[in-house]
Amino acid sequence: MAKKIANENANPARTKRSMGVKVGRRISNTFVYIVLILMTVIWLFPFFGIVLESFRVETPQQVSYLWPKEFGWDNYYKLFNETDFMRWFINTGFMGICTAFLQVFFILSVSYTLSRMRFKGRKFLMNFMLILGMFPGFLTMILIYKVFAEAGLTMEMAPVGLIIVYCASSGMGYYVSKGFFDTIPKSLDEAARVDGATRFQVFYKVIMPMAKPIVIYTILMGFMAPWGDFMTASYIIHENSEGMNVAVGMYEWLSKTNLNTHYTMFCAGGVVVAVPVTALFLMLQKYYVEGVTGGAVKG
Amino acid sequence: MATVKFTNVQKIYEKGQTPAVADFNLEIADKEFIVLVGPSGCGKSTTLRMLAGLEDISGGTIEIDGEVVNDLQPRDRNIAMVFQNYALYPHLTVFENMAFSLRLKKMPQDEVYKRVTEAAEVLGITEYLTRKPRALSGGQRQRVAIGRAMVRDSKVFLMDEPLSNLDAKLRNQMRAEIILLREKIDSTFVYVTHDQTEAMTLGDRIVIMKDGFIQQVGTPDEVFDRPANLFVAEFIGAPKMNIVRTQLIQENGKYYVTPYGAKMEVDGENGRLLKEKGVTSREVILGVRPEHIALVAESAENTIDSTILVNEMMGSELHLHVRTPDGEKLIARTPTVNLTHEERNKMHTGYPIHLTFPGKVMYFFDPETEKNLLY
Repeated sequence: MAKKIANENANPARTKRSMGVKVGRRISNTFVYIVLILMTVIWLFPFFGIVLESFRVETPQQVSYLWPKEFGWDNYYKLFNETDFMRWFINTGFMGICTAFLQVFFILSVSYTLSRMRFKGRKFLMNFMLILGMFPGFLTMILIYKVFAEAGLTMEMAPVGLIIVYCASSGMGYYVSKGFFDTIPKSLDEAARVDGATRFQVFYKVIMPMAKPIVIYTILMGFMAPWGDFMTASYIIHENSEGMNVAVGMYEWLSKTNLNTHYTMFCAGGVVVAVPVTALFLMLQKYYVEGVTGGAVKG
Repeated sequence: MATVKFTNVQKIYEKGQTPAVADFNLEIADKEFIVLVGPSGCGKSTTLRMLAGLEDISGGTIEIDGEVVNDLQPRDRNIAMVFQNYALYPHLTVFENMAFSLRLKKMPQDEVYKRVTEAAEVLGITEYLTRKPRALSGGQRQRVAIGRAMVRDSKVFLMDEPLSNLDAKLRNQMRAEIILLREKIDSTFVYVTHDQTEAMTLGDRIVIMKDGFIQQVGTPDEVFDRPANLFVAEFIGAPKMNIVRTQLIQENGKYYVTPYGAKMEVDGENGRLLKEKGVTSREVILGVRPEHIALVAESAENTIDSTILVNEMMGSELHLHVRTPDGEKLIARTPTVNLTHEERNKMHTGYPIHLTFPGKVMYFFDPETEKNLLY
């Protein structure tokens, strides 16, 4: 009984204090939500804007209002039937797929080697690649163009040339995946080697399944590079529509003479370009599983 | 099932540096259980890893079953290994972990199944076969690691400190299980540990190493009773042996030592051996194991009159840390069963006690070379 009274006496004070805390928390939460909502609007506005513009039928020009007066698929129809967009899209997709696969191969091989093997000049090589990577890539553009022009890898052959550009030095981007491999205990490699695996079997039977998140990350990065690239691509493609990627091709529509006739189509193109990247991301996202190495060794 | 032979094996990590393993010579008989033991950095793990093929051999040769394996890859050496940190494949179930090596050999499915389930039965992990390592406790993971090594008909079974990640209780249990397991596997074992208890209880022979050199190779009895040098004497046995620099005196055909001002006779086997070896009066390092020190009721010529510093009650015995008249520290072990309740109650810090060393269980070492004078 005495205990109960004591409890009742103690409670009001505690409730009062906790109410004060509650009100304070509610105010700060409200503030945080306002900021977040504002940021979301700023973030999503261009995206919705482009989607809405792409469905506008009444005029292909830029207009001062947002909501289309008339909705329709006209822009998409014209995009695939009256322009070279399909060609550019296929070019870019081809480059994306090739680059993704080649980059996964190069980057993972380089990072696994640097993480696991010890050889002469390893430290030097790592530092050298790191420093070299700090120079902007376009410093090499003129030279690359000269070499590729000689080899016939510009103009309509540009996609092949660009794949070489994207993949050639990709091994230098080893740090993220090397850091990941470094966290996988070496004794797993050793156990597998004693169990009868070759170095390559260790890599693909033991390390790769554990490295799924980093493989996915590498694929996404490799696939995205060609979709967004404009600078290198425009140089090597050199105004040849046959070899253009989407960025270079569609840029033409933004020139002063084309803008008023192609603006809504440009928006439609932007939406179509976003589709494969988004789809790939949604598809691969579920493989980002945390804690795949749990239980391998004594933590 | 195979013999292993090390001939002048050497490991140097960087040119000009002292070798991690130097001039290692050892022959391991078929089905023998060898334990490599020593403090950290003594080269025991490096030796094991050279045998496994995970480290290059800088010099000498290693033979398994008469075949030089220096240049063979680990997978071609037909060995099985258990790692300190288990090294289980986290993305595979317990069954697939154990079947990994068999699958690489392209063994038929029913044979794989038979072997894995048999090994799981022996290790008591049948119910966990479908789990991932993540969902197992430390002891269970180590069983899986042992199972993974068991399923293969490997020539040599290597274990690199397999118990040191387990807690004390589990370690004792697993130690007993490894002894039982050994009967079942019936293979050649090389076991690395830094724990002298594991070495003493598991090994047919023990190889004690220090700074890359073998100090002594022998059975547990041999290394305990006849340590080759001071290092081995101090390393084997817990708490470690008491050491004192003292005079050995030969008088009227008898030998005496004079530690801390007391005069004790060296008798029994020790006295006989000293005489046989023709040892005369000289300076020696005297070693006495804590469990051999005797407590005496009265002060006498052969007692060291000391005071208790710390009394550790271990249950079945007391560990008495005492201070001698010279201010040196000694450790004595005495079974509690010999003491009355009253006596035990009196033994607290500052209490005077009288110790003596029985002559037949003393150890004598050369102060210069630290070698055992008797063996």
